[in-house]
Amino acid sequence: MDQMAIHIDKLTKIYEGGFKALDAIDLDIPKGSFFGLLGPNGAGKTTTIGILTGLVNLTSGSAAAMGKDVVNEFREARSLMGLSPQELNFDVFFSIRQLLILQAGYYGLSKDRGASRADLMLERFGLTEKANNTARELSGGMKRRVQIAKALVHDPPIIILDEPTAGVDIELRHMLWDYLRELNAKGKTILLTTHYIEEAEALCDRVAIIDQGKIVTEGSPQELISTLGTGSIEIKIHDIPAELNLEPWSFSQSENTLHIPTSRPESDMPKIINLLTQLEVSIEEVKICKSSLEDVFLKLTGRSFLEDTMEIKNV
Amino acid sequence: MFSSGFFVLVQREVLRFLRLWKQTLMPGLISSALYILVFGHALGARIGQIKDISYMNYIIPGLVMMSVINHAYQNSSSSLMQAKFLKFLDDLLITPLSGFEISVAYIIGATCRGLINGIMVILLSMVLTDFTIDNVFLTCLYLITVSWAFGAMGVIVGVYAKTWDHIGMFTTFVFMPLSMLGGVFWSIEMLPEFWRNISMVNPLYWMINGLRYATLGVGDTSPEISLIISIVFAITFSTIASIMFSKGYRIKA
Repeated sequence: MDQMAIHIDKLTKIYEGGFKALDAIDLDIPKGSFFGLLGPNGAGKTTTIGILTGLVNLTSGSAAAMGKDVVNEFREARSLMGLSPQELNFDVFFSIRQLLILQAGYYGLSKDRGASRADLMLERFGLTEKANNTARELSGGMKRRVQIAKALVHDPPIIILDEPTAGVDIELRHMLWDYLRELNAKGKTILLTTHYIEEAEALCDRVAIIDQGKIVTEGSPQELISTLGTGSIEIKIHDIPAELNLEPWSFSQSENTLHIPTSRPESDMPKIINLLTQLEVSIEEVKICKSSLEDVFLKLTGRSFLEDTMEIKNV
Repeated sequence: MFSSGFFVLVQREVLRFLRLWKQTLMPGLISSALYILVFGHALGARIGQIKDISYMNYIIPGLVMMSVINHAYQNSSSSLMQAKFLKFLDDLLITPLSGFEISVAYIIGATCRGLINGIMVILLSMVLTDFTIDNVFLTCLYLITVSWAFGAMGVIVGVYAKTWDHIGMFTTFVFMPLSMLGGVFWSIEMLPEFWRNISMVNPLYWMINGLRYATLGVGDTSPEISLIISIVFAITFSTIASIMFSKGYRIKA
């Protein structure tokens, strides 16, 4: 337990009206990890981080940050966490520099320390020139940067980012990715919620997939893909023999291409090529179709991650 | 009891209304000047004296109290509503500040605005009339406790309100009638018995007359009871506001 940045035990949240957003979830996030909480909209990601950070009252169960209970020891727990919420929000009465100094002050940083941290954040996020502007005067991408800067200004050991790259351009997304990797390398624990599968695969060393208020699986992206993914190998052959046998692999064929499903396409490919060579089959082209966390989600829930997201967006 | 973050929030609340001084400080001054001009100078001569005090001076404590109540309430309710509406209240709720600290910080911000508005109206009255203060300490005590009470009321309404209409409705349907029927412009002795009895259960009547006693040395009520009523309201509203914040009523899911 000492090694856990976040420990969640049988956490349940039932909203007014009876909707069960979280159903007794257990989750451990090791210190120093880059952890992804994945799931479609409405899966329970934001509720989970809302409970951790004090925005949502839990119904039952418990959660702790660095061993500090988020309810009974909320002061200690909250000072260890910084949250960048999904929805942009800004105090419109102050410039972004003042806003960062105030936010640092709420966490107990002195005025001087808060000002130096605010200036560092402004510089790191390329906002120094906009320091005296209010958030209303910034573009969407800049607002997102300020939002993340607010989460980091008090230098917390646990950084929680709820959909940090939602609606941002590719350049900013990669800038944020680089900075988050740098923070993680310095020992910060990062909890990232996202429904961009490629973001989780690129950044996270561990992920949990949450769906309908339950953690459906957890592990490193590689582990999950290799055990639950459904990649494939496509081999274009000059002339497919009438009675081709590739056991233990199964395959289907369309025209002169073999489709061989496998969870380990990279390691299986040389074996299959070897087998085909022994059968004196002439290979024209080999293509590996890698599995992704999207496939894992599809396999576990029977639904496409992206389709699910789109459906909810279109309601 | 209070963390350093609490004082930062108090600072933020005071800075907010000082920056918006054209909206938060000037209207009270202008409306009070107009009341003094219209009711005091134009009508006062026709009404004469009340309890050996000129009518113009008699209404000044009421005008001060109206300004104090209105601005203290407006400050906390609108500041909170903006924070809810624009979602930056979340930036506070995720900090180590307790619900008690956040509610008290909002109340102190409101108290400062109420107090400054009250002092400004008193100073204006001193310039425009021959108004003087009989007991400065008691006057300050009334201004602070009443500002605090209605600042806390503003927090309660700000937390409860879902729309800006809710905030405005309270001013229109509660404060305005209570102020007008609370003896701002007349002595209770000038009313028919029925309305006199009704006024006795109006807390603003006690608060206005408490301040009238503190400033002019005369009033319809006991200054001790008036002060106790102001303090009881301040404590009661603060407790409710603090509980609402601590429980996350309407601010946490």
